[in-house]
Formats: sequence, structure tokens, C-alpha cells
Amino acid sequence: MKEARAGMGIKARTNAVSWAFIALAVVMICIFYFYPMIQALLMSFQSGTGTNLSYVGTENYTRLFKDATFIAALKNTFIYLIVQVPIMIVLAMFISVLLNDRNLKFKGFFRTAIFLPAVTSLVAYSVIFKYLFGNEGLINTMLLKLHLIADPILWISDPFWAKITIIVAITWRWTGYNMIFYLSALQNIDNSIYEAARIDGASAFRQFTQITMPLLRPIILFTSITSTIGTLQLFDEVMNITKGGPGNATTTLSQYIYNLSFKYTPDFGYAATVSYAVVILIVIFSFLQFKLAGDKNG
Amino acid sequence: MKKLLVLLFATVLVLSACSSKSDNGGNKGGNAADTSKITVWAWDPNFNIKALNLAKEDYAAKDSKLTVDIIENAQNDIVQKLNTGMSSGTTKGLPNIVLIEDYRAQSFLQAYPDMFFDLSSYFKAEDFADYKLGPTSVDGKHYGLPFDSGAAGVFVRTDYLKEAGYTLADMQDITWEQYIEIGKKVKEKTGKNWISLDPTDLSLIRMMTQSTGAWYLKEDGKTANIAGNEAMKEAFEVYEKIMKANIVKPHADWSQLVANFNSGDVASYPTGNWFMPSIAAEASQSGKWGVAPLPKLSKTPNSVHAASIGGSSFYVLNVPGKEKAAEFLGATFGSDSDLYQKLITEVGAIGTYKPAAAGDAYKQPNEFFGGQKVVEDFAKWTAEVPKVNFGMHTYAIEDILVVEMQNFLNGKKLDQVLKDAQSQADAQIK
Repeated sequence: MKEARAGMGIKARTNAVSWAFIALAVVMICIFYFYPMIQALLMSFQSGTGTNLSYVGTENYTRLFKDATFIAALKNTFIYLIVQVPIMIVLAMFISVLLNDRNLKFKGFFRTAIFLPAVTSLVAYSVIFKYLFGNEGLINTMLLKLHLIADPILWISDPFWAKITIIVAITWRWTGYNMIFYLSALQNIDNSIYEAARIDGASAFRQFTQITMPLLRPIILFTSITSTIGTLQLFDEVMNITKGGPGNATTTLSQYIYNLSFKYTPDFGYAATVSYAVVILIVIFSFLQFKLAGDKNG
Repeated sequence: MKKLLVLLFATVLVLSACSSKSDNGGNKGGNAADTSKITVWAWDPNFNIKALNLAKEDYAAKDSKLTVDIIENAQNDIVQKLNTGMSSGTTKGLPNIVLIEDYRAQSFLQAYPDMFFDLSSYFKAEDFADYKLGPTSVDGKHYGLPFDSGAAGVFVRTDYLKEAGYTLADMQDITWEQYIEIGKKVKEKTGKNWISLDPTDLSLIRMMTQSTGAWYLKEDGKTANIAGNEAMKEAFEVYEKIMKANIVKPHADWSQLVANFNSGDVASYPTGNWFMPSIAAEASQSGKWGVAPLPKLSKTPNSVHAASIGGSSFYVLNVPGKEKAAEFLGATFGSDSDLYQKLITEVGAIGTYKPAAAGDAYKQPNEFFGGQKVVEDFAKWTAEVPKVNFGMHTYAIEDILVVEMQNFLNGKKLDQVLKDAQSQADAQIK
């Protein structure tokens, strides 16, 4: 009896001590994450210039549906999402399988080379891409010299090509980053599975689709969710390469938030509304991807 | 592993604590608590910063105790820093004096009404060009001290003109249609493009519209004035004609723009006088340039050969040290004719201080421009610039117009284009 009480005392004390340890983290997370989130939510129901904000109810949210720029930014973001994310994921998977080949020489060199873009600064590489794809940039000069095109392609000032430029740029920047996840997952796949498959006479393609892909499923899910979130937050590349132009052919939601806050007469309330639209989209997409790609353990 | 993480976390904490401490120290140094020192933010080292340094030297003779700290920031950075600083309600880290572009001025003055210091008693507003006073004041109070004129003209290669059978005299008092015709001829004879344009920048539309005394907004500075704006309608038509005349070389940013002229690829450019140093940077083209007055719209009445583009003014923030800052501005840019002469000879900056125009520097011929008295010409056009209320929404509306301009160039009917732009603008600005 006595012992039991003493035991409980110790348990309570341990509990208190453990709580004390995480209390600091909890308080900090509340102050630096949850408090701003709630403030932003409140702000998304306000409108006005600069500091003269006042509550306008759900007007900001109804304004979203009529806002041509918001809709254009949303459309662009979807185009990037639908075109760029699959290309990048497939490419990352393909490259990682190549690099995982046992007989490949200079593995370290190739892996580093392909991962290297992921460590470059977003602004620095964007500026370089802008010059590469300029009207008289390297890409145009090369294509002209090779007589593949008769006139320079307006990579930055044509609405269609500007989107292509952005897609090429972000694919270059992020493929290597995603590849690393696939590479680590591939190394966890037991080689005996492939050996057994080979004995059964499975072709390389069949091995890839029937063994590699299913086993990579959790990673495919992970990379597609992070890439989706990344695309919805796309800002640096567009800001630096095309400034969202021509017109608003390449503008993104994040850039629109920036413009609303800093380029135009600031309306932080409406900018917060657009950010919450991004939050809602991310939640929906992540949910969908879980449903579509995830299984019991996914 | 855990220990390592804890160690790492602790190091990060300590490091960040240290760095924030030194930050605070830095801010205090730059901030106005200490009134023997004032801080100024501006952009463009070849123009605004140079001008400020001249003013600083000038003022040192009058008040040697005041330290003036001039800090160069990109314009976008200044706008962003002001917005974040002012909306957070803290003045810490903000400067005493800041340069703001006229197009944006009202947006700041009205969004943060308590943040700016009234300069009305520190300079005589009537000494300055009338059109500069609209953007810089609210309810009759002058918050900004007008700086560069931004008066527009057409920079043009006289040697190319000659090859095509024209002289600078043929560029006087012309309409935009005539401007395009000359351009076609120049292109035909020399193979050089006539104008360099960035499709996302509608400065041409802005100049054409302002030359009639109209603007994107009505006179209240709040209501969009797009559908039914005759000047803008004609400006759009002229813009289309320019784009379709095969005389345009596109550029995507400032460096490409300057390169287009320094390389000799493009023959003319209608823009503000602040472009002069960039043109003159290519010494090998000395004597080959001239400046013509801005062409005017032919159909819209009241169009004159003058408009301003991208001029800016100085503002004093409502922080400690504001009186010193205001005195500094008042004694230099606000009243010193000699300073304005130096600004012309040493920087090429043309101010809007009317008494200064009588000075010698304004009458000097410029060898780079074939002996033309360019400053005198710009000063003359400065006096003719129509006063408009830029209002709060220049860039918000321009982003809408840029999109609609693309639609227009792709074949959408002009009336519909302007109507759509109007309804988008109405939804955007309220």
C-alpha cells in the first residue's frame, strides 16, 4: 500500500517533469505557429489599406471567386502542377533507378551532379535561367546556330513559352532533390526480390512496374505531396524570371499575395484571404493524394 | 544522437539570440533616437544617391554637427520595408527620410496617415512644378518635397534619322502616328529597330494618357477611369500600331533595355529625363543623340507634348529627428538653387525647383547630345506637364491593363477590353 502510493508519487512527479520539458516547446509553437495562424485567419475577414483594416465579413472570400487575377494565378498554378509535378516525379524515379545500377561507375559523381541544383539559391539560379532564356540568351543562340529555329523564341515574353521556361527551371532545380528520396528507398529494397523475379523470367520493364513501383509507393506519395505543396507556394522563380508576365501568364498565388501586400496599395486582409485559399487547396490536394495513392500503411 | 541534437538546438538558440542582439544595436544606431544623425533611404546609385551625397556635402557647411547617413536600397526593397515596418506599427529600423516614387506616394500617405511628417512649413510649395504637388500632398498638407522632374522626351539617334532622310527638326511637334511613320522609314533605311519595349511595362500608355491631363483614375484618385477614357482608348490604339509596325525590339528588364541602346540596335526611346545618364554611359555614341519633345495624341483634345514618368520625391517619417530631417531637406532640395546647378552638371538630375531653372547649368549645351541644350528643353517640358492625381492604385491597375493589353493585341475588341479592365479595377480597388 505504502509502496503503491510512493509509486504514484513518482509517476506524478515524472509526469510533471516531462511536461515541464515539453512545455517550452509547446508554448513556443503556440506563440510562433498557432497565434499567427489565428491572427491571419482573423485578418482574412478584414479589408482596407495598410493599417486601416476593418471587418468585412466574408466579402473577401466572395471576392476571390470574381477576381480575374486570382483565377488566372490559380489556373497557372494548376498548369504547373499538372504538367510539372508528374514530369519531375517520373524523371526523378527514372534517374534514381539508373543511378542505383550495381554496375554503374562513378556513382558518387553522377549522384552529386544531379543533386547539385538542389543546393543552389533559388534567386541565383532564377537569374541565371532568365539570362539563358533571354531573347539573345544562350538557348536561343544555340538553337539559331544549329538552325533548329529561324527566329528567336520569346522564352520570357510569350505567354506559352514563358510557362515552359518556368517549368524547365523548376524541373531542373527540384528533380535531384526528389531523386534522393527514391534512391534511398531503392536501396532498402531487398535485392533477392529482383533475383527471384529474374529467375522467373521477368523483363527489366516488368521488374520496374511490378516490383520497384509498388515498393516505392509511399515515397511516390511523399514526393508528390511535397511537390504539390511546393508548387502551390511557387514564388522565387516566377518573380525573378518572368515577374509573372507577360500579362499574368505565369503569375502564381504566392506572387499575387506578394503583389497585394507590397506592390499595390497594401491590402493585408485580402492577401491573408488568398493565403488561406492556398492552405485550403493544400489540404484538399494532400487528402486526395492520400486517398488515391495511399493504402493501409500509406 | 539525441545529445547531439540538443547541443545543436542550444547552439542555434544561442547564436540567434546573439545575432538578434547585435541587430538591435544596429537599429538603434540607424534610428532616430539620436537626433544628431539622420538616415536616408533611396535607390539608384548613379542618380538619387549621387544627388543626396551632393546635398549632404552642401549641408555640412550649414550644420556640421548633423551626420547624414545615406543608405542605398533597391526601390522594391524600400517599398517592402516601409510596408512591413509601418503596418507592424513600429518605427524601429525605419529611416528619417525616404524617397518614394510619385506613382506610389498616395498609397503610402493614405494607408499610413500618421507615419509621415507635414513639411508644409519647411519649404515653399509654390516654388515647385505644379504637377509634383498632387502626388506629394494630402488635404493641402505637403508631406513630400518634390525631387526629380521625370519630364519625358524622346531620346533619338540623330545619325540614324539622317540616314533615313530626317533631322531632329522633323521630330518637333509631331503626333504618335508621325512618330511611327518616321520609325518605319528608319527601320527601312538602317535596319535598326525604332523603339525598345517591355510588354509588361505600360509606361507609353501612362505618358500618352497623362499628356491629355487624364489618368487611370478619376480626379478623386479612387475611382477607376478606364472605360470611356478617350485618352486611354487612343493610347491603346497607338500602342497596337507601334507593336504591329515591326519596329519594336523587345526587352525583359532594365539591363537589356540599356543594352539595346548602348549597342546601337535601337534608334529612339520616349521616356523620362533620368534615362540620360544611361544613354550617355556609352561614350562612343557621343554626338549621335538628340532629344525631341514627346509626340502627342492626335484625336484626343488637350494632348500636349509633355508628360512625366517615374519621378520621385522625398518624405520625412514621423519619428524622432523629424525636425532635423525636415530642416535638412528644406535647406538643400527645398531652397538651394546652387545645389540644383550641381545636380545637373555632376549627376544629370533635373529637379522641379522653378527658381533653379534660371541658373547657368540649365543653359549649357550638352556635347553628347550634339550640343543641344537638353536640360533647358527638359526644364521647359517640365513646366508643361499636366497635373493629374495619380491616386493610390497605379500599379494595381497597370497589372490589369497589361493583361487586357495582351488580349487586345490578340484581337479582342478595344471597347470590350477597356470595359473588362474597368470592371476588374472596380472590384480590385475599393
